[in-house]
Amino acid sequence: MDAALEAEGLVKRYGARTAVQDLSFQVPRGAIYGVLGPNGAGKSTTLRMLVGVMRPTSGRITVLGGPPTRETMKRVGYLPEERGLYRSMTTRGAIAYLARLKGVSAGKAFKRADQLLEAHGLGKHRHKRIKTLSKGMAQKVQVLAAIAHEPDLIIFDEPFSGLDPVNQRVLEETIRTEAATGRTILFSTHVMEHAERLCDRILLIAHGTAAFEGTVSQALALAPSLALLETEGDFDLAAVLSTRGFNISYDGEEHGNKRWRARLENGHGSRQLLQACVEAGAPLSLFEPARASLHEAFVALVGDKAMPNAAEER
Amino acid sequence: MSPVFLVARREYLAYVGAWGFWLSLLTAPVIIALLIFGPVLLARAEPPRVLAVVAEQASDAAYVTNAFAANARREARGEIRAYLEAAAPAVVPEAIAAFDAAPNRAAAIEAARAVIVRQAPRALAAFPNPTERYQLVIPPEPDIAGMRPYLDGSRALPDGRALYGALNIRRTDGAPVIEYWSVNLSHEEPSNIARRALRLAMQREALSAQGLPPEEADRLDGFDPQVAQFDPRPSAGEGEVTLRQRAPFYAALALSFVLWSVVFSVANMLLSGVIEEKSNKILDTLLTSVSPMQILIGKLLGVAMVSLTLFTFWGALGGGLLTLAAERAGESMFGQIAAAFLEPRLLAAFIVGFIAGYLMYGAIFLALGSLCESLQEAQTLLGPVALVLAIPMMLITPALDNPNAPLVETASWIPIFTPFLLLVRAPSGLSWLEIAGMATLMGATVVVILFLAARVFRAGVVDQVSISSWRGRKAKG
Repeated sequence: MDAALEAEGLVKRYGARTAVQDLSFQVPRGAIYGVLGPNGAGKSTTLRMLVGVMRPTSGRITVLGGPPTRETMKRVGYLPEERGLYRSMTTRGAIAYLARLKGVSAGKAFKRADQLLEAHGLGKHRHKRIKTLSKGMAQKVQVLAAIAHEPDLIIFDEPFSGLDPVNQRVLEETIRTEAATGRTILFSTHVMEHAERLCDRILLIAHGTAAFEGTVSQALALAPSLALLETEGDFDLAAVLSTRGFNISYDGEEHGNKRWRARLENGHGSRQLLQACVEAGAPLSLFEPARASLHEAFVALVGDKAMPNAAEER
Repeated sequence: MSPVFLVARREYLAYVGAWGFWLSLLTAPVIIALLIFGPVLLARAEPPRVLAVVAEQASDAAYVTNAFAANARREARGEIRAYLEAAAPAVVPEAIAAFDAAPNRAAAIEAARAVIVRQAPRALAAFPNPTERYQLVIPPEPDIAGMRPYLDGSRALPDGRALYGALNIRRTDGAPVIEYWSVNLSHEEPSNIARRALRLAMQREALSAQGLPPEEADRLDGFDPQVAQFDPRPSAGEGEVTLRQRAPFYAALALSFVLWSVVFSVANMLLSGVIEEKSNKILDTLLTSVSPMQILIGKLLGVAMVSLTLFTFWGALGGGLLTLAAERAGESMFGQIAAAFLEPRLLAAFIVGFIAGYLMYGAIFLALGSLCESLQEAQTLLGPVALVLAIPMMLITPALDNPNAPLVETASWIPIFTPFLLLVRAPSGLSWLEIAGMATLMGATVVVILFLAARVFRAGVVDQVSISSWRGRKAKG
């Protein structure tokens, strides 16, 4: 595999506490790669080690074919989890400053800043100071600052957090656009939907170790199939079908009907489930086999307790 | 452009782009001028303090009244002399002679003014109009008991003014006893003036009793041997020590204080700057492009440029004024002190002291800042540091009395104190060997501090070592 980024046996310890334990993975060139996991799983620590901001306790990192030196890092764009820009700088000044630190000439840096701000609907704010912007706008500016020097590898740490749904969509589009130009993008998130929509490959981290590494479809294959059902009246589908070995959970009520979610496991498929419903005389108003989400895949891999309540962030 | 210069440039522009910088730049000279001249101006602006004298013997009241009049005249003479020494030194002898020849204070001031009108009209515009500090009035009541409401502020004098104090002079066994009544308990000058006046009166009485005329008593009181001071060093020449030779000591003291203030002001800028960047999480972004050492050097360089801007402005302003004063009033006290500030050895010690002090304390403060998430956290670290920093300030005043006192001399060899104490000791004629030794030790310490600060800074910004994490670990056990 032609890897833009490679980590081998990464370990990070803080005294007696181990934040990252023996993590190895490769990010193919041109891929959109997601690092997923709940809060505190070690995602940010891993990313900070990848960009050279933090020294690993042990392990080896290869970035764009070489060690993560300052020179190599000029070809990497990085958006840290906790955002920060100089509050008294203008938006164009902040973008150009960070681009210049990456070796871009002054003229080109300011030109690029203007282009990016214009392209992302911030053109009229280019002379505004960061402190006068909303949190979302400031975050957008920082994303632009991370890509202003046209890096070969872009690393975003929780880029969607703090953004409203509209701006999350805009950022997803930005990631796709950058990937379309051949750049490699790695981002971390604990919201599975973003990864599901964007990523070619994913790495799931739980408790500092890799729980899964592969394509999204490989991950989804690990999750049990689902079926969504709806019954009329007070019929208790879970009580009836659990005696037949099905795992049914109540999903709430809608328009006077009860909604249920069935996990198809232990050799049970959707056909067997439908047959059992008919035999039990369930008053079905809906029966819909569903594709499992990454969330379900990860619950299957690491258990419910390790997963975040992602709905809050969506 | 090198990342170091980009960091330095941003740092510099961030400070000079803030309105607070320009405010400090412009107001600092005004504040310093106010600190120097404010007390004098305030004293002049204060209306005369009204005193009443009640005495059992009319002669005692007359002695005291005359003493206050003589005091007022002496003060007016001093004020006019100080002004003329700065504004028109050439006419000082003539103006003072005219002042002394006049029969009373008002006539004396007018006589001096007349000399200025004639001899130096350009100095007339700011010619002082000295106000009396004390004015004696007829007591509103014949005794202290009656005057108490006036003294405690419950009643005003017929002309509306408040009575500041009253002197009640009694005689006990023939000797005067002074009671001074005033609500201003810490101010004893009126009673001291009265005491001196009556002591002279008592001496007169005693000498008269021995058959000496009163004039002889006054002559005896005026006995005052002349004092001359000499410097035994060959370089000092044969003459007595003049103000020109003493002035550098005062200038060094002032420059040392300025150096101390500036070094810690700019070191604080570095501290708050790095704490802001750490708490704003800007450092993570920077660290992918710039090494911790480059950030450290860039910051030191940027704030050094800020200091240079301040010094250029203040130096041009202060240097210009001092040069003007040294040229225009060269022989006066003011002119000689002004010239002392411009002495090359003092300026050189100031510049070297600033560079070394700034690098040492700037690096220490940067390193401390990198370990803190907030200014509150920094305060806990700065407490002990501030105590150490206060030591050179405590030694500056004793150094004025004896720049080569063992304590001062020893402390000046401690590199973190050298910048301030070398400056204070510079006018005392340090040997080149001593200067070279202190400079070498200070230079080596700068290098060691920069090296250690870079390591701490790296631990703070890269490995996220912080006071709170130490505390957290300690709390966890």
